[in-house]
Amino acid sequence: MKHLLLRLEPLVWLLFGNGILIGTILLTGWLLVVGLAAPLGLVPESALAFERAQRLAAHPIGRLLLLALIALPLWKGAHHLRSLSIDFGGASRDPAVASLLYGLALLGSALGVLAVIRL
Amino acid sequence: MARPAHPHAMQPPRPGRTRTAPPLLPDQFPFQGRYRAYTLFDLTGAVYLALGFVVLRAVWALGNGPEAWQALCASFASPLWIAFHAISLLSVCFVAVRFFRLFPKAQPPRIGPAKPPPRPVIHAALYAVWIGVTLVFAAILGGGLFG
Repeated sequence: MKHLLLRLEPLVWLLFGNGILIGTILLTGWLLVVGLAAPLGLVPESALAFERAQRLAAHPIGRLLLLALIALPLWKGAHHLRSLSIDFGGASRDPAVASLLYGLALLGSALGVLAVIRL
Repeated sequence: MARPAHPHAMQPPRPGRTRTAPPLLPDQFPFQGRYRAYTLFDLTGAVYLALGFVVLRAVWALGNGPEAWQALCASFASPLWIAFHAISLLSVCFVAVRFFRLFPKAQPPRIGPAKPPPRPVIHAALYAVWIGVTLVFAAILGGGLFG
């Protein structure tokens, strides 16, 4: 497992780095509007009406952005939590923790692909 | 007073030929001094992991049809969800500010024949992209663009 994790490190770092950069850049707008402004009534209800949301999300660029919004933060989160686990608990349990966290990120990413396909 | 670190922290796979002192955790680890920002930066991983699944849930609801989408939007209006999203926004801004400060320092001195731009230029460009993309993305989601 340790050997496999080391071999996967470049791929994980690519997703982790883009999770910080692209994930952060995209999440800010999402959180401002979908997470806060719409629930607080600061944007018109029609903005996130089903027909409009579906039309925007089903566009190829919309699907790509939504997939990035799902998958990249998952990998950023998984890798940072793994790093936190090593800092607090040492490297002995790292193979189990890393497998669990990267497995979650992989599962979420696969479901993300499915979610944007079925839009 | 420095405390002993976990004995397996940073342990190499095979013992090296050079004798080394046992690792010690710094005094201020994990929540004091400069370690506070370091630990908080790693802790934002929990928020990002949760956010990935929240966005997945939203996209899944959108694919399930109007009722599921309306139910999701209504649930986001609960105080707990608003608090979670507010904390998430703070975390995302914290990551942006810290990462944008680190990013220029992490650039190689040369990329092929070209030298990267000066650090302040990279720093300013990252902020410009972040603010620009956020404004455009928020305008699209909020109905101001592509209405």
